Amino acid sequence: MSRFLDKLFARFNIYREPGYYGKYDYKWTIVIDLDKCDGCEACVIACHAENNLPIVGEEECSKNRAFNWIRIERYVEGEYPDVRVKFIPILCQQCGKARCEVGCPTYATYHNQDGLNVQVYNRCIGTFTCATYCPYDVRHFNWFSYKWEAPLEQQLNPDVTVREKGVMEKCTFCIQRIRAGKDHAKDEGREVTDGDIQPACVQTCPTGAMTFGDLNDPESRVSQLAKSERRYRLFEDLNTDPSVIYLKRVMKQTKQ
Amino acid sequence: MSPFDKLRVNGKPGYQTSPLILSLSKDEQRYFQLNKNISYKEINDDVIDAMTRTGPLYYVVLAIVTILTLLLFFLPWIYQIKVGQGVTGLNNPSYWGVYLVNFVFWVGVAHAGTLISAMLYITRTQWRRSVHRSAETMTFFALIIAVSFIMVHMGRVWNFYWVLPYPNQRTIWTNFISPLMFDVFAIGTYFLSSLIFLYFGLIPDIAAIRHRSAGWRRRLYVMLSLGWRGTDREWYIRDKAYMLFSVLIMPLVVSVHSIVSWDFALGIVPGLHKTVFAPYFVTGALYSGFAGVVLLISILRRVQQSSAKYITERHYDRIGITLLALSLLWSYLTILEIVMGLTSHSSFELEHLRYKLLNPGFAGLTALMIFSNTILPLSLSIRKVRVSITCQFIISIFILTGMWLERFLIFGTSLPRKFLPYAWHDYHPGWVEIAITAGSFFLFILMFMIFMKIFPVISITEVKEEWTDS
Amino acid sequence: MLKRRDFLKALGLGGVGTGLGFMLGESIKTPATNLIPYVVPPEDIVPGVANWYSSLCTQCNAGCGIIVRVLEGRAKKIEGNPHHPVNQGRLCAMGQAGLQALYNPDRIKTPLIRKGSRQSEEFRAITWEEALSVLAENLMKLKIASNTEKLFLLSSVIRGHMGHLFETFMQNFGSPNYIQYDLFQHKELIFANKVSMGINILPYYDIGNTNLLLSFGADFLNTWLSPVNHSLGYGHMRQGRHGSRGRLVQIEPRLSLSGANADEWIPVRPGTEGILALGLAYTIIEEGYYKGQDINEWNKILSPYKPEMISELTNTDNERIRTLAREFASARPGLAIAGENAASYTDGVNHIIAVNILNHLADNIGKTGGVISNPEAPIKKTQSLKDIDALLRNARAGEVETLITYNTNPVFTLPHNSKIQEALENIPFVVSLSCFMDETTAHADLILPTHTSLEDWGDDITEPATGYNTATIMQPAVSPLYDSRNAGDILLSTAKRLGNRLQKNMPWDNFRDFFIESWKTIYEKQRHTYAGEPVFEDFWNKVLTQGGWWDQEKRTHQSIHFIKDNVKRFISSSPSLFQGNEDEFPFYLILYAHSGYYDGRHANLPWLQEMPDPMTSVVWGTWIEINPQTAGKMGIREGDLLLVESPYGKLHVPAYLYPGIRPDTVSIPIGQGHKTYGRYAGNRGSNPLDLLPGISRHETGTIPLNSTRVKITKSSEKGNLVKMEGITKEFDRQIVQTIPPYERRQN
Repeated sequence: MSRFLDKLFARFNIYREPGYYGKYDYKWTIVIDLDKCDGCEACVIACHAENNLPIVGEEECSKNRAFNWIRIERYVEGEYPDVRVKFIPILCQQCGKARCEVGCPTYATYHNQDGLNVQVYNRCIGTFTCATYCPYDVRHFNWFSYKWEAPLEQQLNPDVTVREKGVMEKCTFCIQRIRAGKDHAKDEGREVTDGDIQPACVQTCPTGAMTFGDLNDPESRVSQLAKSERRYRLFEDLNTDPSVIYLKRVMKQTKQ
Repeated sequence: MSPFDKLRVNGKPGYQTSPLILSLSKDEQRYFQLNKNISYKEINDDVIDAMTRTGPLYYVVLAIVTILTLLLFFLPWIYQIKVGQGVTGLNNPSYWGVYLVNFVFWVGVAHAGTLISAMLYITRTQWRRSVHRSAETMTFFALIIAVSFIMVHMGRVWNFYWVLPYPNQRTIWTNFISPLMFDVFAIGTYFLSSLIFLYFGLIPDIAAIRHRSAGWRRRLYVMLSLGWRGTDREWYIRDKAYMLFSVLIMPLVVSVHSIVSWDFALGIVPGLHKTVFAPYFVTGALYSGFAGVVLLISILRRVQQSSAKYITERHYDRIGITLLALSLLWSYLTILEIVMGLTSHSSFELEHLRYKLLNPGFAGLTALMIFSNTILPLSLSIRKVRVSITCQFIISIFILTGMWLERFLIFGTSLPRKFLPYAWHDYHPGWVEIAITAGSFFLFILMFMIFMKIFPVISITEVKEEWTDS
Repeated sequence: MLKRRDFLKALGLGGVGTGLGFMLGESIKTPATNLIPYVVPPEDIVPGVANWYSSLCTQCNAGCGIIVRVLEGRAKKIEGNPHHPVNQGRLCAMGQAGLQALYNPDRIKTPLIRKGSRQSEEFRAITWEEALSVLAENLMKLKIASNTEKLFLLSSVIRGHMGHLFETFMQNFGSPNYIQYDLFQHKELIFANKVSMGINILPYYDIGNTNLLLSFGADFLNTWLSPVNHSLGYGHMRQGRHGSRGRLVQIEPRLSLSGANADEWIPVRPGTEGILALGLAYTIIEEGYYKGQDINEWNKILSPYKPEMISELTNTDNERIRTLAREFASARPGLAIAGENAASYTDGVNHIIAVNILNHLADNIGKTGGVISNPEAPIKKTQSLKDIDALLRNARAGEVETLITYNTNPVFTLPHNSKIQEALENIPFVVSLSCFMDETTAHADLILPTHTSLEDWGDDITEPATGYNTATIMQPAVSPLYDSRNAGDILLSTAKRLGNRLQKNMPWDNFRDFFIESWKTIYEKQRHTYAGEPVFEDFWNKVLTQGGWWDQEKRTHQSIHFIKDNVKRFISSSPSLFQGNEDEFPFYLILYAHSGYYDGRHANLPWLQEMPDPMTSVVWGTWIEINPQTAGKMGIREGDLLLVESPYGKLHVPAYLYPGIRPDTVSIPIGQGHKTYGRYAGNRGSNPLDLLPGISRHETGTIPLNSTRVKITKSSEKGNLVKMEGITKEFDRQIVQTIPPYERRQN
């Protein structure tokens, strides 16, 4: 009986072994240097283009239902003339201990071996639990089955699913590019080299504020940047173990 | 000799047998004073009359309620399925709104039924006898509506069966760590158990009336009564089984709503992430459930004269005391929740509290909630208020409103004010949500109206045990 | 009992029925159920494998190189060209949205001819044969009547060979009236640089290597000059150099996106940027940082600009002016740039020249991290010989018979007070070569649809380049979707129909031939700089593959000589002129280019409409920015509809409370307010250019944007302000964490 129970629960117990997530092949990480980010929102449009995000229109925008998988949040402190404006790109943090993964009843969101939080569109039944649990509010819901006015649908990326109504979606670190990069590397019989794969936002960022790479690789750029004394992660005390590392902005404090 | 036999007095069961009858009409009062006992036949007659004697008013009301249910509940739901969840007022980050409020509300309402049926049975409380059938029915229908609200709130309803762990071609289990999966099991168990419990209690009742009925009724009752003959042995087994069942179903009263509360408590959203949620929600559930019972039996009294004489002042008195106790407990837990938030040193919690208590949109609702749930029910400590049906009716409506508001305030204030201030956006329910909410009440009335014409809403067996002399 | 006959009947019916059903199903399938659009695909297409084409981004005038990902003949994604020296693989938001211009539902698909009046905007589709013969007929009439100067050709700013083709055509036709007009042309900057430094083409502002960047009203990260290149430089300046971090000080009345990233914002009074620059220059002279021989002369010129004397005028603390000047002079190198906001005053040229003086005295010119000259372009720069003013004057006087416009929308980008619409009414025949039905095209008589930049050939000589010759080639990434043509092709076939000299001097069949032949000439001339490409074909393939031609080895750092005598008459001590008197119109009006719509050309791209404005997060609309203190005094809350009146026009715009603007200033973004322009842009928002007077500057012929004052009245209605932000306060939640500068060490 106990052997039967062991076998039954084996698939759940492995998550509790220490270092399980450390044994992954890659640990994709994005490092965002807030001292370089200037809030231009090129990443927002690049993400729209790459991931088949629909345009919702003015009325839906007023209900905050726009699809910005990555958004630039702007925080203003101080009063005229001592105004301080701070920008921070918020995207899915691909948490190591994701709250959303806990909440989904059907495993439509799960943690894959590369350290990514993967959303499976065809398994999602739309209970909204993941979106409610997410502390970063990065999950977006398909409120309708959105249509593209012809011929705008010609631009849709065939590597990315077009989602129907009722399905949750979020930033995937451009998993289609990661898969393509890994396949390419496999064809050539090697590991993925640093800089091979770049999500759309990282590739287009004009100031070069974003860097993408494998944190498990000690030679990669993200590993070097992650050692910076300016590093921090968003809401670290919530213990979500995010894979997005921010570098603090250098800024004089307001005279308060 | 069972341990309960010791309670016999003078050969009869040691219960009180003379109910207070001040709420009955003069004729009825004289009748009861003349006849200390009522015969079984009289009880049977009363109950069967209540079921079969249907005036035109019933059909008119039934038609109106059916139309309203279709218009307000089903049609908007179908529209929502066709067009998408976008017709609601939900947005990012308020992904849970009125639908989940309704879900929690209806599951909460369901708990009182089980408390009255099971828990009070074990404690041998007498006043539960006349009301427990309607309470159990209320539980069952409330659970149906609660499950339907789960389905209403889902983005892709047509796949809802994926939450059930069945062997499938993808070889994938459901995520048992998820609180929604706990919900599936809890509410599934609760649903099945209350259905079986209800049925179990109905068997002798159906048997009692089957020989008096004709046509389709007779066929139905014969089938459902499973050949009950009323022998001593059958009664004995039935008593034992009923007690066993009550004991088994009793933990569900506490566990089901705790699990439902953990849907929210297990998220780290400030305002939802509280350990006090389990007892808070259970208390709230029982509280709203009892208020629901009051509403139900008050309407029943007005509508069915023949069952009116079995629901008396005494019941109101006892339920009133329970309501008062629950109100005090609820108030204590609310204060506890607020104090815990204030002393938490967490800016997230404080912001949520500030939004709930001070924001102009919500301050009024919070005040209404406090008034309905804490201040008004304090009047139940006065006996005159307790035994007055009108007063209890009004107080129950306020309590139900207050309890609905409590759930709404929990969602409506915590989700729009999560961690990142840039992402804060308010929530306003859309017309579909309001229609379906209203429609759910009509659906409940519809189901109950149909039920009360087919099955006895007063438990004949129990009433016979209490009101007769034998 | 089923008989055999019945059984066979049933079988037959069933079979036929199934067949019929299948065919019915197939016939009602939408075309989208076909996965692959080709039966026999062209050679280079493998389904599922992308082809990348290098091309040129034409969304603004920076001239970045792009690579386009094409799958099965459809363009899917635009990325920056990693080899291109200007953007080095990066691309801004406007560039990314270029795909939506190609696949826009509102594109003009066939040639159109007007039926009905110009106001009715009704058109009839015709064939190219018909359209070209109508055009040729009209031009022939002009030739026969010897009225060839009455042909005007108006295009956007084109630096490449298309401009040459236009020039050649106009020359051979016999008309000197080729005008290039865009709202943002940097004409003031070019003029000021020519006057003060004697250079004809824009220099390279080396932001990446500077230590202190003083930006006088330059939104260099967002919309000014070459935003992607500047952003790259900015990133490098901040955290790209080990051990040093450059600083940015922004000097402007309204905090722009670049200003939001600055270490310090100096909210100078509108119209006094130049005076502040001269104050800094004076401090540099006075405190001995300037080591030149002519220090006494400079002292005399700049003495009216003592910090104490200009402090009140510029609304800046004089101590701060002094310390800033010291920091700037000791930055070595520092860099001061004057952007669109400073150039947009009536005397914008004066401000830019003042900034050039500052650069000169701080010894930044010709230095790395300062102002670096660019060598002369390999082809002669197409100059528009006249400005838009000439068109307006001549049209009003009835001296314009035919106007051909290409890729420009003056009816929108000129204030209606310049009477552009009346001018158009006076022109009997207007031809528009355009992709979209914008305001100018809607007033045309004949519309000839052109290719979008992803379907077209062309090139661009980058200005400003990054210190060496750069040219970017635009090649078609997809075949044309509709029945459009290259603008050069249209003129070439017209030239053929007109015969004689035109046909002789313009023998090419199409633009592509002309284009490649022109590049052959460049190849021949520059041949010695390109070892390894003995044959033109190899050279051309290399250029097409890498997306352009640049010669990093040959950087001619021609030295720049500052011409002191020229600048003397551009130094003024009074602030810029704003129309409207101060009592009636209390607020300065500042206009700026929106980061998505630019000058309004991209308002028809839904991605950019839905992109939250970086400083206000407003989408799908126009707004007016007003200081919260001012708004509080006037009882204005966010979203209130305000009536904004200048002496020349009025608008209704919703209010946005913006702390980054002076209390005496208001600001409105340019870009919305289109009357036609498709479903996404039409009838949305307001065009603030309608508040401007129609007076142009005489040095450059352009309309100054910051030239009027306005008054604000609160109306009783609520405006439609859709914003994506919640609350922009952090409440100590440590979201954007910062460290103070003196503790920071470069990682």
